[in-house]
Amino acid sequence: MKMITGGAFQGKGKCAKKLFGIHESDMIDGAVCIYDEAFSAVCIKNYHELLRRLLTENVSLTEFTKQLCIENSSVVIIMNEIGSGIVPLEKSERILREETGRAGCIIAEHSDVVVRVLCGIPMIIKGDLNDN
Amino acid sequence: MITLVLGGSKCGKSRVAEELLNRFNGKKFYVATMQPYGSEAHAAIERHRKMRSGKYFETIEKYTDIDELDLPYDCAVLLECMGNLCANEMFCDGDCSCPVNKIVSGIEMLSESVSELVIVSNDVGSDGISYDEGTMKYIAAMGEINCRISSISDNVIECIYGIPVVLKGELT
Repeated sequence: MKMITGGAFQGKGKCAKKLFGIHESDMIDGAVCIYDEAFSAVCIKNYHELLRRLLTENVSLTEFTKQLCIENSSVVIIMNEIGSGIVPLEKSERILREETGRAGCIIAEHSDVVVRVLCGIPMIIKGDLNDN
Repeated sequence: MITLVLGGSKCGKSRVAEELLNRFNGKKFYVATMQPYGSEAHAAIERHRKMRSGKYFETIEKYTDIDELDLPYDCAVLLECMGNLCANEMFCDGDCSCPVNKIVSGIEMLSESVSELVIVSNDVGSDGISYDEGTMKYIAAMGEINCRISSISDNVIECIYGIPVVLKGELT
């Protein structure tokens, strides 16, 4: 399992293609995909958006993510870092932010390689690209 | 040589960027993109002027259309900042809904005509908040501008509380 994270619009998708050889057609979009597709996808982009949608269905984000790590252990997950900034006033937004953070930690823990991207520049923050 | 200095708000980007040109012996220009509207802008401009005083920069105010800059060859340019330039192009004088190509080609032209170009830019996509459509367009444009400028830059430096962290190239 691999993880690419960073702020919005930093070139994370491009890094997935460049570093891990992912094709556009291999990527499903968490903002619109069918939930079950996650368990067989090669790469999921906007995983934080998938989590946002799952929360509205009252699914436990950490349980879903743990199951994903078991059932699709070779997936490449692309998700935004969303925990910086002010704690949201809205309770549902607070829960989403916290649960997304926890889910991200689970993914990072299960990933051999974790990449953080800023302005298109990847920084390997866990593991080694050459070990693949 | 192009150097991109970026980071969040008040992270010491300006000081780091100015210091990069301390040892430059030729003519130095400071291209200011912030429009002097409102008391906060005036205060920021005054603060930056004080910081630059004694560092021998000639200030040029240019809020949009940086491709129009006509500067002497062999000079150094500090452009500050991309966040304002992009906002000006999109929302103020420029009224350009997608300024990415215009700004990036302006930067390319500028970099070819001067000896040293230091660009101060902002990381505006890291707070995890989904804003209204216009703001998201701005965040997307800034993200793409930063990616494209970083790819043509010799050096890319992220600034964290005044500490320069080299992401590409080296700190000279």
